[in-house]
Amino acid sequence: MINGERIVVSGIGVVGPHGDRPDAVFGELMHGKSAIALWGRDDVAPVAVARSAFTPERWFTKLQLPGVDRVSQMAVAAGEMARADACCWLDSVEPERVGVFVGSGMGGATALDDGYETFRRHGRVPPLTVVASMANAPAAHMAMRIGARGPVYTYSVACASAAVAIAEASEAIAAGRVDLAIAGGVESLIVPGVIRAWQALQTMATPDADDPASSCRPFDETRSGFVLGDGAAMLVLESQQRAYRRGARAYAELSGYGVSCDASHMTKPDREGQVRALQQALQRSALVPAQVGYCNAHGTATRVGDVVECDALRHVWGPDIARLRVSSTKSMHGHLLGAAGALEAAITVLALHRSQVPPTASCDHPDPQCGVRVVRGQGEDAPSLEAAISNSFAFGGTNVVLAFRRAH
Amino acid sequence: MSSTLTDLLDLIHQKFDIDTSAIDPDKPLEDYGLDSLSKAELMFAIEDRFGIDYPEQYTAVATLQELADVVTRLRAATVA
Repeated sequence: MINGERIVVSGIGVVGPHGDRPDAVFGELMHGKSAIALWGRDDVAPVAVARSAFTPERWFTKLQLPGVDRVSQMAVAAGEMARADACCWLDSVEPERVGVFVGSGMGGATALDDGYETFRRHGRVPPLTVVASMANAPAAHMAMRIGARGPVYTYSVACASAAVAIAEASEAIAAGRVDLAIAGGVESLIVPGVIRAWQALQTMATPDADDPASSCRPFDETRSGFVLGDGAAMLVLESQQRAYRRGARAYAELSGYGVSCDASHMTKPDREGQVRALQQALQRSALVPAQVGYCNAHGTATRVGDVVECDALRHVWGPDIARLRVSSTKSMHGHLLGAAGALEAAITVLALHRSQVPPTASCDHPDPQCGVRVVRGQGEDAPSLEAAISNSFAFGGTNVVLAFRRAH
Repeated sequence: MSSTLTDLLDLIHQKFDIDTSAIDPDKPLEDYGLDSLSKAELMFAIEDRFGIDYPEQYTAVATLQELADVVTRLRAATVA
């Protein structure tokens, strides 16, 4: 429960590297199908990415598009699909009681990249660069599209942005500040300047020459880093009571969350910080480790990160660690940074809803240093799955764990 | 209809997918859905299309005819 209130997920919208139908996306993941492929430009060495095959025509007329970056287009699309999935919710709520909570790491990167490029080449900048690239543009466009007139917030907490947004939305509902929230994240940064910046940081996976789709190998001995992805995922959140009253389907309950900050290093993960977030999430959810059957790991496939995360899980789960199935679906949809926490929350919710656990792809030689029960290759049926968690551990040191229970 | 006006209609259609056959050049562009943001985008596209610098003092033009008159003058000045 979030501060005494049961919060449920009643709608899911996804724009991702595996498409925009949540059930189909989950099905692909269950089969271990990776959406990772090579991407390159003249001035950028080929890199493995997981790019969404998204185009805006379904959601925007050409007249609506000026100043709307791809990041906002995807946010609007995911928001609209979440709203449709939650069915008719605007009919039953005052617009002033609807909130939008969106996480994004880098905002409108395409507009900014284009703006800088145009400026350096031609000495001029497209006039809508500011409104297209500002970090809160996706949330603002979503609010305009759905007519949400309550709090419309943007959270930028690197890889934990969307998880923070979902946690904050649940608090707003529990505190009675909104009746309905649409919460999630969006990221669109597969553009030359940003890719070059990530390449320079040397955390990206070395593209697999024979099979680019298997470039991201979390928990594998040969892992070499992560693969960037783009997309959006939005959840409709409301109190269980409200969802029940309006006859809505509840996919799962958001039973609690944990947030902590390492306060030690910008990029180096810290076991103690992660442990605190995991423990908080369990405590707030009134769960003990043995009750949690699945962890959608942060699992970015960096040499250090995977080991630290597994160490934190083993520390909290203790002797029950063997009961916890762990997978990093980033091996298939890439790392969506500011949207990762939302896409992975959606996958975790669907895992509970369908009683199935998706695998980690491309983990053929599990690293013994990780020492957790990694689901590999194909997904598993999990008929007794009652609770699951989704981890998001950010650059900057913020750790967020979202905990979900099966809806009853 | 002047060639500038025809070119502008063509550009508006291309950029915003508006049915330009229904545009009255003497009516405000807002009537056809162009707000301040899309007008700013249009000015930028005009600079590209006609190879001119569109001065800030003319950004408040309301109708397509006024816009065409400004562009015609700027083009003439560029050629001269």
